[in-house]
Amino acid sequence: MSYQHTQTFNSRRQKNWSRNQNTVAFASAIKLGPVAHTVLVALMITVLGLIYLTQATKATSFDYATEKIDSQIAELNTQKNDLQIENARLTALETVKSSSVASTMTTPATTDYISQ
Amino acid sequence: MNLELQKGSRSKLLAAILLSLMTVFVVRLFYLQIIQHDYYVNTANKEQLKRLTIPAKRGVIYALDGNTPVPIVMNQTVYTVFADPQMTNDNEKIIDTIRQIAGGNARDNLQSLLEKRNSRYQILATKISRVQADKIKKLKLMGVGFQEESQRVYTEGSLASQTLGFVDFGGIGRYGVEAKLNSRLTGKDGLLQSVTDVSDVPLTIGNNNINKPAVNGDNIVLSIDRNIQSHTEQALTDGLKRTGATRGSAIVMDPQSGKVLAMANLPTYNPAKFNEVTDAASFNNNVVSAPYEPGSDMKTLTMATGIDKGVVSADSTYVNTDHIQVDDRTISNASYGQTGTISFQHAMNWSLNTGFVTVAERLGDGSSITIGARNTMYDYFYNKFHLGQITGLEVDGEVTGTIIPPTSADGNAVRYATMAFGQGMDVTMIQVASAFCSIVNGGKYYKPTVISGIIDNNGKYVTNKIVDPTATISKSTADQVRQMTQIARNSNFAGVDKPGYYVGGKTGTSQVAKNGTYATDETIATYLGYGGSEEMSRYVIMVQVSGDHKEFAGNYDAMPIFTDISNWMLNYLELQPKG
Repeated sequence: MSYQHTQTFNSRRQKNWSRNQNTVAFASAIKLGPVAHTVLVALMITVLGLIYLTQATKATSFDYATEKIDSQIAELNTQKNDLQIENARLTALETVKSSSVASTMTTPATTDYISQ
Repeated sequence: MNLELQKGSRSKLLAAILLSLMTVFVVRLFYLQIIQHDYYVNTANKEQLKRLTIPAKRGVIYALDGNTPVPIVMNQTVYTVFADPQMTNDNEKIIDTIRQIAGGNARDNLQSLLEKRNSRYQILATKISRVQADKIKKLKLMGVGFQEESQRVYTEGSLASQTLGFVDFGGIGRYGVEAKLNSRLTGKDGLLQSVTDVSDVPLTIGNNNINKPAVNGDNIVLSIDRNIQSHTEQALTDGLKRTGATRGSAIVMDPQSGKVLAMANLPTYNPAKFNEVTDAASFNNNVVSAPYEPGSDMKTLTMATGIDKGVVSADSTYVNTDHIQVDDRTISNASYGQTGTISFQHAMNWSLNTGFVTVAERLGDGSSITIGARNTMYDYFYNKFHLGQITGLEVDGEVTGTIIPPTSADGNAVRYATMAFGQGMDVTMIQVASAFCSIVNGGKYYKPTVISGIIDNNGKYVTNKIVDPTATISKSTADQVRQMTQIARNSNFAGVDKPGYYVGGKTGTSQVAKNGTYATDETIATYLGYGGSEEMSRYVIMVQVSGDHKEFAGNYDAMPIFTDISNWMLNYLELQPKG
């Protein structure tokens, strides 16, 4: 592929859109060789790779958040279970029997029944 | 020599080098990714892919408080504190902390444990609570770690210990419900297979992840009512103190469903401290695992058989001479003097052996216990009342007992004559109590059960469907035998029951066979009875007391325990008296 030098710049857009206006055609003075192309392609692949890596890391960061929440749930469940055990112990028959309320209770002298 | 390179030669050279390098990379990558694919995938999986077991929670066991389930066996997370002596750097601080926080759960020789520098693992304290573990964790002691484990907690202490059983250090249920329903209670562990990071945090990347949730064990609701159980144990304890007996068992059943409301055995133990028990016999639930000769309790079933077959009634009479001849053996009464023509009700009141041998004879030709009589008795005892066979109660260690069939050489007339009053056979208390339930409920045999239902995943109590009963005897027979036992109780123990209720029962004093002969210095006392209204019996209670080289009588030693439980039950069930 070859490039031709010129001092006249014709704007194709203006040429097409309006009359009697100068048009400029820009031809870049920078030449890209095969090495530059290869490097550019490699850079693009790298960028794509980085984008993929970012997304993959993002998914992993969700895993850490999930793990943290799971740990909190487990901790709260353990606390809840401990409280249930404490509740069961406090309401156990032996505890109730030896409570201050039970110790002041007396046997009724007589018992009456409501007739049905 | 022209040193100037031709136009484009450097580019071509660079391109060639790049191409070569690329070729090398491509070839290498092909080798690694295609040819060596499986090898590297396996290697990566070994390092990254972890298989973690999600432990299933063992089911909670509930008892009833009236109709409300209350947990009596629960799971608690406890911690073992360990140290790596090669990593610790402040032993004094560790020792002070562990002693202060773990208290009695700390090992005695902490100093020497931490000085074992050639060891990487030394246990400093066991079974500490979450709160204690958190306190120690906050101090971030170098070289100190924690292991989490689950242990069973018995919130009611030793209550119903033989019914519950325990879970050993390997997590296996032993004895009682824990053993019998071990697979149901254990559940099924889940599996988490996942790529993990260095801290073993599971990551969702990868295609081989598996997340199979654990299936927790069933939360089982027993039919045991903790209030009835507690009072039964107390009554049994008091009874044993009063009589001097060293062993005692009691069972309370609902005759209208076959549900066991209480089942107690003494001596007992605390399941949380099962490892401190010195006599393993304490683990046994003698209600199901100790067959014995039922003695006079059996007379109720013999009478039911005779009435149901139409050969006797409560008012039928026979001539009592205190002795009766069966083949070459003479069978005598335990108490003498009620001689002459007497009714079978009278024989029941005085528990006369001759009366029930007579019933057996009348099942035959009237004067001998023929093969026909024996077949009939076997049919009723074994097939209808389910004696001598596993009842299927959901506790470990149930035994069959023995009812010798008439087809056996030992199943002769003498054998069946003695079986008529409860000797020459081995049965368990659960068998006798279940059979007796079918008498007081009008002739329906319910399979005994200790399970009332489950607590489902939503926390809702779902009751089990009661298995349809099988017929044992006709309702009129059942009513007649029930009335006979009510009369027998009132004729012998008038005034012991709360007035206005319908309570009946039968005493039993069993001889103990040792080394092929009956011991002369040892008897087992039992009492089998029921209570409620005339229209419906609400409970059946069976009590047994015994001791090595000790003689006990059903009326003196077991009956008062029955009365204690029975009168309490009438109040507890809020039954209104008549009259």
